[in-house]
Amino acid sequence: MSDDNISVIKVRDLLMVTMPPDPDDPTVTALQEKVLNAMERYEAKGVVLDISSVETLDSFFARTVSETAQMVTLMGGRTIIAGMRPAVAVTATEIGLSLGNIETALNVDRALDMVAAKSRPKKLR
Amino acid sequence: MTSNPADEIRIQTEGDIVLTRRVVREAATKAGFGNTDVTRIVTASSELARNIFKYAGGGVMRWRSLEDNGRRGIELLFVDQGPGIPDIELAMQEGYSTGDGLGMGLSGAKRLMDELEIQSMVGQGTTITLKKWRQT
Repeated sequence: MSDDNISVIKVRDLLMVTMPPDPDDPTVTALQEKVLNAMERYEAKGVVLDISSVETLDSFFARTVSETAQMVTLMGGRTIIAGMRPAVAVTATEIGLSLGNIETALNVDRALDMVAAKSRPKKLR
Repeated sequence: MTSNPADEIRIQTEGDIVLTRRVVREAATKAGFGNTDVTRIVTASSELARNIFKYAGGGVMRWRSLEDNGRRGIELLFVDQGPGIPDIELAMQEGYSTGDGLGMGLSGAKRLMDELEIQSMVGQGTTITLKKWRQT
Protein backbone atom coordinates (compact mmCIF):
# COMPACT_ATOMS: atom_id res chain seq x y z
CA MET A 1 0.00 0.00 0.00
CA SER A 2 2.69 2.45 -1.03
CA ASP A 3 0.18 5.10 -2.07
CA ASP A 4 -1.03 5.17 1.54
CA ASN A 5 2.22 6.67 2.68
CA ILE A 6 3.06 10.20 3.65
CA SER A 7 5.50 11.85 1.28
CA VAL A 8 8.04 14.33 2.65
CA ILE A 9 10.08 16.31 0.14
CA LYS A 10 12.47 19.11 0.87
CA VAL A 11 12.04 22.15 -1.40
CA ARG A 12 14.48 24.94 -0.65
CA ASP A 13 14.05 25.66 3.08
CA LEU A 14 10.70 23.93 3.32
CA LEU A 15 9.30 20.49 3.81
CA MET A 16 6.45 19.64 1.48
CA VAL A 17 4.41 16.99 3.24
CA THR A 18 1.60 15.29 1.36
CA MET A 19 -1.04 13.22 3.12
CA PRO A 20 -2.68 10.28 1.33
CA PRO A 21 -6.50 10.37 0.81
CA ASP A 22 -7.48 7.94 3.55
CA PRO A 23 -4.59 7.17 5.90
CA ASP A 24 -4.95 4.56 8.64
CA ASP A 25 -4.14 5.52 12.24
CA PRO A 26 -0.53 4.25 12.22
CA THR A 27 0.11 6.32 9.08
CA VAL A 28 -1.34 9.41 10.76
CA THR A 29 0.76 8.73 13.85
CA ALA A 30 3.87 8.40 11.66
CA LEU A 31 3.30 11.97 10.45
CA GLN A 32 4.75 13.41 13.65
CA GLU A 33 7.98 11.47 13.61
CA LYS A 34 8.55 11.83 9.88
CA VAL A 35 8.06 15.58 9.93
CA LEU A 36 10.12 16.25 13.05
CA ASN A 37 12.99 14.06 11.91
CA ALA A 38 12.99 15.73 8.50
CA MET A 39 12.96 19.18 10.18
CA GLU A 40 16.17 18.27 11.94
CA ARG A 41 17.84 16.45 9.06
CA TYR A 42 17.19 19.14 6.45
CA GLU A 43 17.36 22.11 8.81
CA ALA A 44 14.02 23.17 7.39
CA LYS A 45 12.38 26.49 8.24
CA GLY A 46 8.88 25.18 8.00
CA VAL A 47 6.34 22.68 6.77
CA VAL A 48 3.63 22.93 4.15
CA LEU A 49 1.17 20.15 4.90
CA ASP A 50 -0.82 19.35 1.79
CA ILE A 51 -4.15 17.76 2.74
CA SER A 52 -5.85 18.41 -0.59
CA SER A 53 -6.48 14.74 -1.21
CA VAL A 54 -7.69 14.03 2.33
CA GLU A 55 -11.35 13.02 2.30
CA THR A 56 -11.97 12.58 6.01
CA LEU A 57 -10.48 14.58 8.87
CA ASP A 58 -11.71 13.05 12.10
CA SER A 59 -10.78 14.11 15.63
CA PHE A 60 -7.79 11.76 15.83
CA PHE A 61 -6.33 13.05 12.57
CA ALA A 62 -6.98 16.66 13.52
CA ARG A 63 -5.37 16.23 16.93
CA THR A 64 -2.26 14.70 15.37
CA VAL A 65 -1.96 17.52 12.83
CA SER A 66 -2.42 20.16 15.51
CA GLU A 67 0.15 18.54 17.82
CA THR A 68 2.63 18.13 15.00
CA ALA A 69 2.33 21.83 14.19
CA GLN A 70 2.98 22.68 17.86
CA MET A 71 6.08 20.51 17.81
CA VAL A 72 7.32 22.12 14.62
CA THR A 73 6.88 25.50 16.34
CA LEU A 74 8.97 24.27 19.27
CA MET A 75 11.69 23.37 16.79
CA GLY A 76 11.61 26.89 15.40
CA GLY A 77 9.58 26.12 12.31
CA ARG A 78 6.33 27.23 10.77
CA THR A 79 3.44 25.04 9.62
CA ILE A 80 0.94 25.89 6.91
CA ILE A 81 -1.93 23.52 6.22
CA ALA A 82 -2.84 23.69 2.56
CA GLY A 83 -5.73 22.54 0.46
CA MET A 84 -8.47 21.53 2.89
CA ARG A 85 -11.45 20.41 0.82
CA PRO A 86 -14.76 22.27 1.26
CA ALA A 87 -16.61 19.24 2.65
CA VAL A 88 -13.79 18.61 5.11
CA ALA A 89 -13.85 22.26 6.26
CA VAL A 90 -17.63 22.06 6.81
CA THR A 91 -17.36 18.82 8.75
CA ALA A 92 -14.40 19.92 10.86
CA THR A 93 -16.23 23.10 11.89
CA GLU A 94 -19.47 21.30 12.72
CA ILE A 95 -17.70 18.66 14.79
CA GLY A 96 -15.97 21.43 16.74
CA LEU A 97 -12.43 20.68 15.67
CA SER A 98 -10.00 23.47 16.10
CA LEU A 99 -6.60 23.55 14.51
CA GLY A 100 -5.53 26.21 16.99
CA ASN A 101 -3.41 28.96 15.56
CA ILE A 102 -2.06 26.98 12.64
CA GLU A 103 -1.77 28.95 9.42
CA THR A 104 -3.84 27.70 6.52
CA ALA A 105 -3.82 28.26 2.79
CA LEU A 106 -6.24 27.50 -0.02
CA ASN A 107 -3.65 25.39 -1.79
CA VAL A 108 0.08 24.71 -1.92
CA ASP A 109 0.65 27.62 -4.32
CA ARG A 110 -0.85 30.09 -1.88
CA ALA A 111 1.10 28.52 0.99
CA LEU A 112 4.34 29.15 -0.91
CA ASP A 113 3.24 32.76 -1.54
CA MET A 114 2.77 33.17 2.21
CA VAL A 115 6.23 31.84 2.91
CA ALA A 116 7.78 34.05 0.23
CA ALA A 117 6.00 37.14 1.53
CA LYS A 118 7.29 36.62 5.02
CA SER A 119 10.87 35.78 4.12
CA ARG A 120 11.34 38.55 1.53
CA PRO A 121 14.08 40.91 2.70
CA LYS A 122 12.97 44.38 3.66
CA LYS A 123 13.57 47.09 1.11
CA LEU A 124 16.65 49.14 1.58
CA ARG A 125 15.98 52.78 2.20
CA MET B 1 -40.86 2.72 7.37
CA THR B 2 -39.42 0.21 4.93
CA SER B 3 -36.37 -1.60 6.12
CA ASN B 4 -33.89 -3.14 3.79
CA PRO B 5 -31.71 -6.02 4.94
CA ALA B 6 -28.58 -4.83 6.69
CA ASP B 7 -25.01 -5.55 5.70
CA GLU B 8 -22.33 -6.04 8.29
CA ILE B 9 -18.58 -5.72 8.76
CA ARG B 10 -16.42 -6.58 11.72
CA ILE B 11 -14.32 -3.95 13.44
CA GLN B 12 -11.41 -5.79 15.05
CA THR B 13 -8.21 -4.14 13.89
CA GLU B 14 -6.94 -0.63 13.31
CA GLY B 15 -7.24 -1.31 9.59
CA ASP B 16 -10.96 -1.94 10.04
CA ILE B 17 -11.39 1.76 10.88
CA VAL B 18 -10.26 2.50 7.32
CA LEU B 19 -12.49 -0.30 6.03
CA THR B 20 -15.46 1.25 7.88
CA ARG B 21 -14.82 4.61 6.23
CA ARG B 22 -14.61 3.02 2.79
CA VAL B 23 -17.75 0.94 3.23
CA VAL B 24 -19.72 3.88 4.63
CA ARG B 25 -18.51 6.20 1.88
CA GLU B 26 -19.69 3.73 -0.73
CA ALA B 27 -23.03 3.09 1.01
CA ALA B 28 -23.77 6.79 1.57
CA THR B 29 -22.86 7.66 -2.01
CA LYS B 30 -25.07 4.84 -3.26
CA ALA B 31 -27.90 6.12 -1.07
CA GLY B 32 -27.72 9.37 -3.01
CA PHE B 33 -26.10 11.71 -0.48
CA GLY B 34 -24.08 14.64 -1.79
CA ASN B 35 -20.38 15.03 -1.12
CA THR B 36 -20.68 17.16 2.04
CA ASP B 37 -23.19 14.80 3.64
CA VAL B 38 -21.09 11.79 2.64
CA THR B 39 -18.12 13.42 4.37
CA ARG B 40 -20.24 14.08 7.50
CA ILE B 41 -21.45 10.47 7.61
CA VAL B 42 -17.99 9.01 6.98
CA THR B 43 -16.42 11.24 9.65
CA ALA B 44 -19.03 10.26 12.26
CA SER B 45 -18.50 6.58 11.38
CA SER B 46 -14.76 6.95 11.72
CA GLU B 47 -15.15 8.30 15.26
CA LEU B 48 -17.44 5.44 16.32
CA ALA B 49 -15.34 2.73 14.64
CA ARG B 50 -12.27 4.00 16.48
CA ASN B 51 -14.18 3.99 19.79
CA ILE B 52 -15.12 0.35 19.22
CA PHE B 53 -11.54 -0.59 18.37
CA LYS B 54 -10.00 1.32 21.26
CA TYR B 55 -12.48 0.87 24.08
CA ALA B 56 -14.57 -2.21 23.34
CA GLY B 57 -11.98 -4.58 21.90
CA GLY B 58 -13.93 -4.92 18.68
CA GLY B 59 -17.47 -5.13 17.42
CA VAL B 60 -19.49 -4.83 14.25
CA MET B 61 -21.05 -2.16 12.08
CA ARG B 62 -24.36 -2.81 10.33
CA TRP B 63 -25.79 -0.48 7.75
CA ARG B 64 -28.87 -0.25 5.59
CA SER B 65 -30.74 2.27 3.54
CA LEU B 66 -33.98 3.71 4.93
CA GLU B 67 -37.20 4.84 3.39
CA ASP B 68 -39.94 6.61 5.31
CA ASN B 69 -42.84 8.40 3.60
CA GLY B 70 -40.72 9.23 0.60
CA ARG B 71 -37.81 10.28 2.80
CA ARG B 72 -34.64 8.38 2.06
CA GLY B 73 -31.71 7.93 4.32
CA ILE B 74 -29.12 5.66 5.83
CA GLU B 75 -28.86 3.88 9.17
CA LEU B 76 -25.61 2.77 10.74
CA LEU B 77 -25.39 0.58 13.84
CA PHE B 78 -22.19 0.24 15.83
CA VAL B 79 -22.50 -2.77 18.11
CA ASP B 80 -20.01 -4.05 20.67
CA GLN B 81 -19.87 -6.32 23.69
CA GLY B 82 -17.41 -4.07 25.47
CA PRO B 83 -17.49 -2.56 28.96
CA GLY B 84 -20.48 -0.33 28.21
CA ILE B 85 -20.90 3.36 28.97
CA PRO B 86 -21.78 3.98 32.64
CA ASP B 87 -22.89 7.59 32.18
CA ILE B 88 -24.19 8.30 28.69
CA GLU B 89 -24.93 11.97 29.40
CA LEU B 90 -21.37 12.49 30.55
CA ALA B 91 -19.97 10.60 27.56
CA MET B 92 -21.98 12.84 25.23
CA GLN B 93 -20.43 15.99 26.66
CA GLU B 94 -18.03 17.74 24.37
CA GLY B 95 -14.49 17.38 25.57
CA TYR B 96 -15.22 14.41 27.82
CA SER B 97 -12.81 11.55 27.23
CA THR B 98 -11.66 8.50 29.14
CA GLY B 99 -8.85 7.93 26.69
CA ASP B 100 -6.35 10.10 24.92
CA GLY B 101 -8.78 11.43 22.35
CA LEU B 102 -10.18 14.90 22.06
CA GLY B 103 -13.47 13.87 23.58
CA MET B 104 -15.11 14.88 20.34
CA GLY B 105 -16.08 11.42 19.18
CA LEU B 106 -19.66 11.06 20.39
CA SER B 107 -20.66 14.71 20.59
CA GLY B 108 -19.12 15.33 17.17
CA ALA B 109 -20.84 12.34 15.59
CA LYS B 110 -24.17 13.55 16.97
CA ARG B 111 -23.73 16.95 15.38
CA LEU B 112 -22.88 15.47 12.01
CA MET B 113 -25.88 13.13 11.90
CA ASP B 114 -29.63 13.69 12.18
CA GLU B 115 -30.12 11.10 14.88
CA LEU B 116 -27.81 9.39 17.34
CA GLU B 117 -29.13 6.91 19.87
CA ILE B 118 -27.11 5.07 22.47
CA GLN B 119 -28.15 1.88 24.21
CA SER B 120 -25.60 0.66 26.71
CA MET B 121 -25.41 -1.74 29.62
CA VAL B 122 -22.35 -1.79 31.82
CA GLY B 123 -20.56 -5.09 31.36
CA GLN B 124 -22.80 -6.04 28.41
CA GLY B 125 -21.94 -3.69 25.60
CA THR B 126 -23.10 -0.74 23.60
CA THR B 127 -25.20 -0.18 20.49
CA ILE B 128 -25.05 3.22 18.85
CA THR B 129 -27.52 3.94 16.08
CA LEU B 130 -26.85 6.75 13.61
CA LYS B 131 -29.32 8.03 11.06
CA LYS B 132 -29.04 10.60 8.34
CA TRP B 133 -31.84 11.66 6.00
CA ARG B 134 -31.39 13.04 2.54
CA GLN B 135 -32.49 16.61 2.09
CA THR B 136 -35.30 16.75 -0.42
